[in-house]
Amino acid sequence: MRLIGIAFGFGPILFGIGFLAPMIAAILELARLSGPFGLSPIQFGLVLGIVLGAVARRRKTWLW
Amino acid sequence: MAVVAQVSQQSLRAQEKAIADRFTGGFPWPMVIWPFVNTTVWLSLWPLVFAGLLPLWAGFLIALLNLSVSYLPSHDAQHNIIFPEGSRWHWFNEFVGWVSVIPMWIPLSVLRVTHYEHHRHANHPDLDPDYPMAAPTALGGLGKAIVKSQPRHDRYGETLNRLGTPASRKAMLHAMIARVSQYTILAALAWSGHVWEALLLWWLPLKISSVYINFYLSWAPHRPMTQQGRYSDTRAFRSIWGNIASSGMQYHIIHHLYPTIPLYRTPAAFRALRPILVQRGCDLGGM
Repeated sequence: MRLIGIAFGFGPILFGIGFLAPMIAAILELARLSGPFGLSPIQFGLVLGIVLGAVARRRKTWLW
Repeated sequence: MAVVAQVSQQSLRAQEKAIADRFTGGFPWPMVIWPFVNTTVWLSLWPLVFAGLLPLWAGFLIALLNLSVSYLPSHDAQHNIIFPEGSRWHWFNEFVGWVSVIPMWIPLSVLRVTHYEHHRHANHPDLDPDYPMAAPTALGGLGKAIVKSQPRHDRYGETLNRLGTPASRKAMLHAMIARVSQYTILAALAWSGHVWEALLLWWLPLKISSVYINFYLSWAPHRPMTQQGRYSDTRAFRSIWGNIASSGMQYHIIHHLYPTIPLYRTPAAFRALRPILVQRGCDLGGM
């Protein structure tokens, strides 16, 4: 149960990797944009997804 | 004088119950057909969109409707309206309740435990799981509805933990399985090249519909959520969208007084009970 609790604590970051990263990449590809600093869309999606997830985890909300 | 007033109150309550009893019982066909049709349509969107037989934008609009109406039959099942506890057919009540919320991917067990707590403690700042929806204005209610499911504002998990009953522990386990399986499916879809389908057939409709559901089911009939008590914790109201587009919530006061009246009979029950509700001093919102 403790392990499950820890895994749930990282839920927003896992959501950032699992769902947000490919979504951000798909948006970039739709707009025919590449990621900054020479990153591919999916690499940028992963970076942004993890950062957003970490922020959401810390704030306990994605919004306000 | 006090004894006369008490007898009068008891008589009024007996009259109220006698009227309400006319609207309970029987098999609520609409609440059974509705979830099976709704869930089937939502599940059908996936192969139709994947096969290119339905444009994704159309799928999004249909999914939005599906998600917006998926909760209500489960709500009747939560109250065992389809078949009561103890009936040999009660399993069918549970089946309907689970099938109804497949699009929302929320276990019936979670909804039932938290919803019963809402009935027991409606508008209680600490004990009502829906109290985070408290807001004096519609705009405020909309804001609360947008953030209600965020961990910072969520009261459902906290309620399940607080109760610590076998039912709440089981619901907590179901909630965890649901969350893990939902995110796994979303991630599998997204990483296999179907991110737009995952976004527009499920995730976005789920988020938008939850705002609608929280606004009309939690905020509108209970606002401003400052009063407690049988005749003052819920109100009737006139929605600019009408009763159907407001999820039948204009007459939600009837549901809190008599939770075993099926949703589609609450308007008629309201009309029959209205004179008593006026005597009770209920807020009927001009209805």
